[in-house]
Amino acid sequence: MHKKGAEGFPYYVGINSLAEVATREDRVCVLNILGTESRSVTPTSHEFSGGNVAFGTSPGRTGQSLPTKSGPIPVYNSVKEGLAAGHAFSTGVVYLPPSGVKDGVAEMVRANKDLKKIIIVTEKISVSDARTIRAICQMNGVDAFGGNALGVADAWSRVRMGGALGGSKPEESLIKGSIALFSNSGNFTTTIAVYLTSEGWGTTTSISSGKDVYIHFAPREFLHAVDNDNRSKGSVIYVEPGGYYERGLRINKPTVVCVVGRWKAKLTKACGHAGSLAGSGDDARAKEQWFMNYFGVDGIYTPENPIFSKKGAVVTNIAHIPEALTKVMALNGIKPDFEPRGSLSLKCWFGNSQGLVLPDELDVKPVEAVAPYNEQIEIISRQIGAQFPRQTMKDASGASMMDPGTQVTKIHNLSILDASKYSLEENLVFALLKSFPDQTEKEFANLAFNAFVHMPGDPVVLAADAAREAESSPNSVLSTAVGIIGKARVRDAKAASALLLDLFQYEKIESATNHFDYSKILKKLSAEQKKALSSGNGNHLAARIISTLGKMGGKSIFVEFVIEATNGKPSSDALLGAIWATLGWPALMKRKISKASFLNLPWHSKIFSAIIGASVPSKKHEKESLCGVPFTEILENWSFTEVAFLSLVGRRPSTIELFEFTLLLGLIISNGPGTISAQGSKGAVSADGPEQPERVQINKCVIGFLTHTGFAHGGNGYEAIAFLIDQFKDSKLQDPGDRKHGINLRAIADKYSKWYSGYKKSEKEAGNIDYAKIPCVNHPVFKGKEVNVDPREQFVSRLLEERGSYNIFLDFYHNLVRSLFESKVTKNVYCVNVDAVIAVILLKIFWKALAEKAISGQEVETAAFTTFLYGRMIGCAAEIDDHLNRGRNMDTRTPASQVSFVG
Amino acid sequence: MQLTGLLWGAKLLRRVDFPAAEVLGPEASVDEIKDLIKRKGQIFIKPIFKGGVGKKGKSGLIGRASDIAKALEEKERLYFAKHTHGNTVSKADGVTFEGGVPAEHEVYFSISDSTEYRAPVMTITHHGGMDIEELPKDKIRVVPFDPLTGLKSFHVANALAELNAPKEIISPLVQNLSRLWTLYNNYGMSMLEINPVRMSTTTQGRLVPVACDFKCSFDIDDPSWKRLDIPAHLFASDYSEFEQEINQLRTYQGQSDVFVINEKGTITAPTFGGGANALVTELLGERATISSDFGGNPPYEKMFQISQIVFKYWLGQSNVLFIIGGKANNTDIYETFRAMADALRWFFNTYGPRPIFVVVGRGGPNLIRGMAYMKDTLESLGLPYRFFGHDSAMSEVVNYALKIDEWMAREGRRLLAAKKGIEV
Repeated sequence: MHKKGAEGFPYYVGINSLAEVATREDRVCVLNILGTESRSVTPTSHEFSGGNVAFGTSPGRTGQSLPTKSGPIPVYNSVKEGLAAGHAFSTGVVYLPPSGVKDGVAEMVRANKDLKKIIIVTEKISVSDARTIRAICQMNGVDAFGGNALGVADAWSRVRMGGALGGSKPEESLIKGSIALFSNSGNFTTTIAVYLTSEGWGTTTSISSGKDVYIHFAPREFLHAVDNDNRSKGSVIYVEPGGYYERGLRINKPTVVCVVGRWKAKLTKACGHAGSLAGSGDDARAKEQWFMNYFGVDGIYTPENPIFSKKGAVVTNIAHIPEALTKVMALNGIKPDFEPRGSLSLKCWFGNSQGLVLPDELDVKPVEAVAPYNEQIEIISRQIGAQFPRQTMKDASGASMMDPGTQVTKIHNLSILDASKYSLEENLVFALLKSFPDQTEKEFANLAFNAFVHMPGDPVVLAADAAREAESSPNSVLSTAVGIIGKARVRDAKAASALLLDLFQYEKIESATNHFDYSKILKKLSAEQKKALSSGNGNHLAARIISTLGKMGGKSIFVEFVIEATNGKPSSDALLGAIWATLGWPALMKRKISKASFLNLPWHSKIFSAIIGASVPSKKHEKESLCGVPFTEILENWSFTEVAFLSLVGRRPSTIELFEFTLLLGLIISNGPGTISAQGSKGAVSADGPEQPERVQINKCVIGFLTHTGFAHGGNGYEAIAFLIDQFKDSKLQDPGDRKHGINLRAIADKYSKWYSGYKKSEKEAGNIDYAKIPCVNHPVFKGKEVNVDPREQFVSRLLEERGSYNIFLDFYHNLVRSLFESKVTKNVYCVNVDAVIAVILLKIFWKALAEKAISGQEVETAAFTTFLYGRMIGCAAEIDDHLNRGRNMDTRTPASQVSFVG
Repeated sequence: MQLTGLLWGAKLLRRVDFPAAEVLGPEASVDEIKDLIKRKGQIFIKPIFKGGVGKKGKSGLIGRASDIAKALEEKERLYFAKHTHGNTVSKADGVTFEGGVPAEHEVYFSISDSTEYRAPVMTITHHGGMDIEELPKDKIRVVPFDPLTGLKSFHVANALAELNAPKEIISPLVQNLSRLWTLYNNYGMSMLEINPVRMSTTTQGRLVPVACDFKCSFDIDDPSWKRLDIPAHLFASDYSEFEQEINQLRTYQGQSDVFVINEKGTITAPTFGGGANALVTELLGERATISSDFGGNPPYEKMFQISQIVFKYWLGQSNVLFIIGGKANNTDIYETFRAMADALRWFFNTYGPRPIFVVVGRGGPNLIRGMAYMKDTLESLGLPYRFFGHDSAMSEVVNYALKIDEWMAREGRRLLAAKKGIEV
């Protein structure tokens, strides 16, 4: 049952000419107009089409409107309400979810007797709903387009109805011409339209048909309408496999057909015979053949083998459509609509081979993009630094992640096991810049850190003294000190970095350690700018830094610039800014870090220096020395790692001690964003409001990290040390690094196992299942095998072995886990976990001093805790910087609904 | 989503009181099989395939037995039978034992949606029990009908009359066949086929149609099939593990259609748009790991999850990550590229860096912002890349990706791995 429509169809077709598909007279009603997709698409359609949307519906939202540049579109609860308000429409557009489409169509058909067309944009409509929709439209004399269609558009009348043909700039694709366009693919509708311009063809009406089982407006109807449209001199049809919509067509105007999808035949899974009953199949090859028969050609058109007739050509690649069309049209004496625009040749807009040498034919060089994209690329290329999308960063991190399977944490995608092979200064640079410094950069970093670690008489060390004397824990002592490294302390250094960035950002300098002629920039520098970099009458520290720089091999454009701009008298802060500008420049230019991160580098640097410096009591910050080491000597010859060791132990480390200490710090860097220390850092950033990154106080964020460590987190390393001291107190051990120690480790282990077996038994009998556990053996993840291994401990043990470093305490631990198993205390051989490595390295460092009673157990505990803080400040600096760049204001809070009251 | 065989077919047919041959599942005991043989004279032993498998009869995959020894022999032969049809290889998991239905007449019947008539159609012939497409057209009737009123008795009666079907079968078929529309229409089917319907004689001498086989397809976009309480694992063989994981994200907003093309492919191409999908899959051929359509403006979160799954399964083996689509109309390039770039970073963080060349061809809203984000990510991961805009012919970009793949296989992968200090 169907209404009477155009002649020659066994079903209703209302549209006689393509000129009727999308006209300026059409008025549109959009169902679900305030849905996500419609909200972004409908305004563009409305504006492009001269304001053709009469109203939209959205249940329960009567009185609201959709704003557009052509004025607001009113929204009603239902179609009936919209009509009652005096609006009229001829075309319905459906943006409803799939389950609502059938009802929406029924609503429009029933409510509006003037309805002529329906365009269904929705995807994934069920077949049963599609067949019902067709029946409803047929009975009521309505032409339907879709479902899953991108709509219809007319380049002559400048009307677009339905979906987003041409995207947000329809005028780029809908260019007036003589070719009618029909496509199963929404995207290809406009892609083909753009391709056609390369041969000088524009379009009349474009129809995106959708590719559901039911295509309501199909090629048969399209070609009928083309025949009756005087504007359309030819047509292009794009079809995909499936369905018999293209069989038995009559094509009267020159046409190029593109059939794509031969491969799909391979995916067809046999199920019964119903599908093949209709004839010879509906795969791509069958469709190609149907069209070849219409056109009287015996093959597919390709540029190499152009097969075409006056009637048309069949292509299997959309890029061949324009050329084939031109040839077919030429046989009909029809010339292109305008001069060809652009070409379809390969044009690279962005490229980088990352240093690989590609064969010439593949080494496509970037060229200027077509307008307006060239301008956008120019704007983007002038943007300095990375820009990270902001999101809630509670319990999330872009800096670190822990693999729950291996328990190994990565920082900037590098395992901390690998990071532990790098020095403290290298890891601090890596934390902030996401790549390790080269040798020259490492020297600059050491200079920047060490220059500010010596603070005789500075309130930073005096405040730390006061906190220490009040018996505050090491983290509280350092928090007190860091609190003093506020914004004012780094204002000049940050200002220097900002000035250098401002002056040099568009100079295309990839590395600031290369040569660059900055004479023109120097000339333009104002007196005020020079003054900001200058120390006035000279600065003692600046002079020492300059002197050290003179002895270093590497050069820096920015350091030299600052020195020259101030006639050799820069401030020490200006030099710090210049050094960090040097180090941060490549990362900033490669957009690895943001501008905000770049400007904060001197602040982080001074805080690192303060943490190490404040670990040393003020009395050891003598005028010209630190812990008795001349400051000049430190500046010129010491690494920051060595200074950190000095601050804890009071002497320079031996080569092997430096290696072990470095390893130790690396292992502590991070345990992922869930650890309390990371949470403290992130909470502190969040509370300052990272959406205004310039307001975030880096020193306060570091205090967040420090206050979120304590005797249970960071300070617990001493437990294992105390355990080991207890085991070895009677051993007369001299050198823990000597393999020939002559001590029967297995005997000590067996003695302890025996004791522990009895202890465990008696505690269990007493009903205490919370008996003391042996520190640093066993792990909740690395368990259950006959012999268990913590891969992190194994990694470090191998590294130590490779370096010829022996550690008696680690050896003892391996004896202990075997002894515990053999004396049946444990069911299998427990692993020695990574915390043991940290304890044994520390104890090895302090053993001699302990044995000689030059240091107390209390002091070892302080040193152990402080060592943890040194290592963890690397990871927390990365977390702070990451949260500052990605986080939202107060994003670490927990909603009230998710917290509980425990009364 | 296809279903074949009477084990489940009989259960579905019972919902509309359509008679089916008696059937026992693979768990049937020897006594039960013996009893079935005793009552029916002979039984048919058929392998159980999950999903849709056609033309079992011609492949010798239907056993026939009149005694228990033969029945058990056939059970052993067919229990794990392999069946190749077209490109599909299926492996059975069990057998059914179906009671024989003695009959003089065999009827073919199906309902499907026809793209020729743009309506549901009934196809019927009384020359059933054979491959229907081999019959001359005048021995078959294809009858379109109105979906609003459904398949009616008169449709069946008229078709059989036009076919000059034996008079005695018309009335029983007219009474029963139209009920199958209810099964088809109410439970989200897109094809239902019974071949053969055997016309069994009752003790009163009347003919009754009995379904002796059953096939149907369900429309993946129609949730009505869930009312049938069919275990989801019956459809599992239709999809690979990868496809199943992606399909869990299937919602109407944003396409997520994927197929595995070659498990040993070296180009992984997240493709946007049905047209691009068809073109790119065609041109990449066996070099592609998957064929995909992720268009339809997927939101960030969905695109991120899809990319994670795609990368997890395929990036390790790939030479080229090829992101390709035409000039998008409403897909936000920034959102989709940001999601893919973040997923790429996640992949490298989780599974370690891989030597991959990235080729991009795309156009659409927020194009340059999206490309810039992707570019920055690739720079930070140290991956080589080339991006092309929509003014480069898509096929040329595909050809470029193919050539890069060849070069990567030849030496690029080794060079890049050495440069990054990772395994090839």
